[in-house]
Amino acid sequence: MNKMRIVSALVMAALAVADAHFAVAEGDVHSVPSPIASFDLAEIAPGNYVHYGTHEERSPRNFGDNANVGFIVGDRCVAVIDTGGSAAVGQALHQALRRVTPLPVCYVVLTHVHPDHLFGAAAFLEDNAQFIGHAELPRALAARGKFYFNTLKRDLGEAAQGSELVEPTRLVKDEWLLDLGGRRIRLHAWPVAHTDNDLTVYDELTGTLWLSDLLFVEHTPVVDGSILGFIRVLEQLRAVRAEHFVPGHGRTDASWPQALDPEVRYLKVIVTETRLALKARKTIQEAVDTVGYSEEPNWVNFEQFHRRNVTSAYAELEWED
Amino acid sequence: MLSRANFALILSAILSVLLGQPALANEKAEPDPAKSEYWEPIRKLMFGDREILDGKDVIRVYLATRADDASTVPVTVKAQINQTPERYIKTIYVVVERNPSPASGAFHFTPESGRAQVETRLRFEDFSHVRAIAETNDGKLWMSSRWVKAAGGCSAPSAKNRVPAALLGKMKFKFEEETIKYDEPNLVQLMIRHPNESPLAGDFDVTQVAEFVRSVTVTYDGKLIMTAEVDFSISENPSFRFYFTPHGKGELRVEVEDTHDKRFVQSITVMEGTPLPGG
Repeated sequence: MNKMRIVSALVMAALAVADAHFAVAEGDVHSVPSPIASFDLAEIAPGNYVHYGTHEERSPRNFGDNANVGFIVGDRCVAVIDTGGSAAVGQALHQALRRVTPLPVCYVVLTHVHPDHLFGAAAFLEDNAQFIGHAELPRALAARGKFYFNTLKRDLGEAAQGSELVEPTRLVKDEWLLDLGGRRIRLHAWPVAHTDNDLTVYDELTGTLWLSDLLFVEHTPVVDGSILGFIRVLEQLRAVRAEHFVPGHGRTDASWPQALDPEVRYLKVIVTETRLALKARKTIQEAVDTVGYSEEPNWVNFEQFHRRNVTSAYAELEWED
Repeated sequence: MLSRANFALILSAILSVLLGQPALANEKAEPDPAKSEYWEPIRKLMFGDREILDGKDVIRVYLATRADDASTVPVTVKAQINQTPERYIKTIYVVVERNPSPASGAFHFTPESGRAQVETRLRFEDFSHVRAIAETNDGKLWMSSRWVKAAGGCSAPSAKNRVPAALLGKMKFKFEEETIKYDEPNLVQLMIRHPNESPLAGDFDVTQVAEFVRSVTVTYDGKLIMTAEVDFSISENPSFRFYFTPHGKGELRVEVEDTHDKRFVQSITVMEGTPLPGG
């Protein structure tokens, strides 16, 4: 039972009081077939399977299937890397996994706190797996879980049914090696970047790097930690020798590490122009209305995320001397 | 007759039934501020039976219609009248009616303020009307409001990162102009390093008192410019931008107090012709 600790009493209360039908009994989610009709998987490297999420805004039609999720199969067991934006996505991933292998799921990696990556975790509660997160993940989940749960219900309605926040059972402070049988994967906990709780996964056998939201492709990057920290972490990631890689959103034929370039350029444009706006004594609103629009043609969902990134960058950079 | 906003709301309710969604799942249309069920109890608590007049010629709220980042939503409240000793705005109340603590701040001004205006950054828990209620020195109340759609996705009202303990209470002034001008209103931004913890965030230990800034007092040359009573609806690292009118060289002084009874003081001496921080 300890593996299915729900994040906090508050969340439990929200589950029980706000909407009784959201309090799905443990185990129900796992056995119910996913309402998602088609769920594609790509084997991008031997034993590394990716499902690419959609760039559409989350809605009852897409069940919050927005993030890239997947799994790595060893000789002994399977590590799942993110579970998607709702229980329905988690179920679909679980069923797709079962079409590939009968091996048990021993690890579920929660790459960071964002709801499009972790609301499918309930679909793996029956697998007796370890749920693994960054050392800062529990704090972030506690601070945001209730809000994320409410907005999930608001945006998905019935399509959110069964979705739960699952607390990690193992935390990573810097690095941790997991053995899947004949295949080791390395988890790395990063300092504040996209969020303050970003984890990456590296499959040593095939040289496949799962970056989650440290790499956005096509989809506008999102800064929810520190824009300067994000750029620093990307410079370190550039040094990783990867044969294959998986972004958190989008897909690309670009080679590694050149695939990082558009995102780094985007972040640097914001930093440069926000510093100029600050120097010109512009307000946060003026900065949000003017900074970084040259990047608009290069990204999807620009309107939805760009203004937020500039807001966050301004609030960070205004403290520089 | 139905107002346009109401009509749109009914339309969206019908549409959502057709799509098989719950009617309240996603409020995209702007509800009528005059018919808000959230506002009524807040109004009674804050102002009792006092009459509240249409405020468009006295006070206005400026902010983006979409809260891009739910943790940091810039809001500006601007007086539409000048501060004169004969007629001035004494207090501006800012209310985010669907926040768990709706009364975000009460900002008190004097004729020395020059202009009753404050720009700050707020946290949003939900789509909400934001209301500004001005009390003029004749005791009348005036109200304006704006509807704000909260950001979806991964944006959240809580803090992003920890504020290092050593930086707690550190303050900075930033001026709009490069030098001060006497006898006219000058704009200054006050920035405070503070987590402004919300007691409602799930990670908060209920046996502790949440630490947030509760009051800000600004004087120039010993004369009161603005005092603010605020709460955790204000974003982490609180920022306030306001006017003051200097009549000669003097000290702009700020005193901040938080709910752990910590006091932080910062001051800067300004005079015409000397450069001001801000760029």
